[in-house]
Amino acid sequence: MASLKRWGLAGLAGCVALALAYLPPRGATASHDSIFVGQSVRGTPARQRAQAVADEWRAADGSLRLLRAREHFRTVATNAWAGSSLVVVSESAGVWTAAPRIADSALHVAWEQLRLDETKVRVAVILQLAAGAQGRDRPLPEEGRAAYLTPDSSDRTTCIAVVSAGSYWTRILTGDERAPRPVTFAALVQSLKAGLGPCAFYAAYGTPGKSVRGWLASRGWDLALTLDAGRRGQQWGSVIEMADRRYPWFWDAVYSLPPSAVGCLAGRPDGCGAAVLAGARDDPAVPFPDIMRIDRRWGRVPRLVEASRFLGDVAHEVGRDRFLDFWTSALPVDTALAAALKRPVGAWTADWQSNFVRPIRLGPAPPLGSVAIALAIAALALALVAVTASRRQVR
Amino acid sequence: MKAFIVLLAIAVIATPAAGQQRWERQVQERAQRAIEAVATSSPRAVVQRSGMLNTDEAASFGTTLVQGTSYAIVAVCDDDCSRLQLTLLSPSGSDIAKERNSESLPTLRFTAATTAVYGIRVVMEGCRWNPCWYAIAVVPLRKTPS
Repeated sequence: MASLKRWGLAGLAGCVALALAYLPPRGATASHDSIFVGQSVRGTPARQRAQAVADEWRAADGSLRLLRAREHFRTVATNAWAGSSLVVVSESAGVWTAAPRIADSALHVAWEQLRLDETKVRVAVILQLAAGAQGRDRPLPEEGRAAYLTPDSSDRTTCIAVVSAGSYWTRILTGDERAPRPVTFAALVQSLKAGLGPCAFYAAYGTPGKSVRGWLASRGWDLALTLDAGRRGQQWGSVIEMADRRYPWFWDAVYSLPPSAVGCLAGRPDGCGAAVLAGARDDPAVPFPDIMRIDRRWGRVPRLVEASRFLGDVAHEVGRDRFLDFWTSALPVDTALAAALKRPVGAWTADWQSNFVRPIRLGPAPPLGSVAIALAIAALALALVAVTASRRQVR
Repeated sequence: MKAFIVLLAIAVIATPAAGQQRWERQVQERAQRAIEAVATSSPRAVVQRSGMLNTDEAASFGTTLVQGTSYAIVAVCDDDCSRLQLTLLSPSGSDIAKERNSESLPTLRFTAATTAVYGIRVVMEGCRWNPCWYAIAVVPLRKTPS
């Protein structure tokens, strides 16, 4: 009888040990908060309501600026182009002035680097400089945002970009002595080149076909924000690229992405295809006026890591002719893009994605420590059984 | 005289925006050559329109055609355009003739049975680099004796 009790106790202890090793704790709170994921402190309901109203005001104000700019370039500034396809002006506190010379020069250098000489669609850039003393009767302009008006909503051949320079770039562009630190001209060119956003694609490849345009409009043009982002690895577009995967904040950043983007990071073509082709429909709708409002801030959660350079890299890879075939195609986006890439979209994207982040492992994979503990427990249980059984042998 | 009329026709067209003059100039030159090619004598009045369209977009305008007069209606487009469709519409809006086989240089010949405002519609069926510039010319050829 005593032997049976020992057996029962040993079995029970084994079960408890296994449960401790494998069952997750319930109801526990995280021991730490990651500072690298886009988690912000939640405000009170009144504060959230105030922020929502401010966002609506900024959106309406941004649309108004674009429509005012459209009228300005249609009527007042018809001579501003002077044979060029690019015009740069600046705006501060509602007053339009000539752009700071360094900004004008940097944008024209960017234009040349993009090889946009004579284009069917011309681009007007309005650099919104931070005002010195902002009144408190309206929300402050949000830095890192840009708004674009497509040519079909202007005169069919002009794309208008309103780019908020923010206080940091305003100080640099205006030569303010309080500028935080000097910036190289090349860095300024790269930053302003990125500011051209979708207008650079319009200038380079014209107005896209209905299916491509509807697809990009439905997803906020996130795949076509940078025509030429430079060499891969030159700049980090997200936390995931710079984080060390041994630390939890890498995984926090990974799992803040949509599931298809996580699948793509794991090198799964299905996930990559879903992440890229999200928003593609058979009957695409294009709004009018077609105003693209884009969040260019660094910490935003993308639908795909390095999404902003996706179509720029596609264009670079397939060449102008094939990209134009895709850009103006009447075929569904997945068919047109696969034809341009000469590969399934998911497979190409999985390879492209691996250039930025080494593929992660997904699926049920217990941590090494847990496996070791489990094996040790199993070995202990077997040893106990063996010892007990040997003692119970009838000689 | 013929050259003068053609130049006059070109001059009345809206001045193109700077930066896109290359394509505008291209279609004007092509339209001029097309007018010279179809006109058997000096055209008395050339109606000409130009503009730009994206793929699958269409533009229409009306023009008065005189009873008993034969007309050539030609449309041209820029280098990036691959297919242009030209349609002549009756005053009631129904199709009279359609030309879509000549790719980027569709031409229609028509003798008006009655003096009326006829419609002309152009459809940009293929444009490799949107938008594509186009020009349409309505060239009176001769008056058919009644």
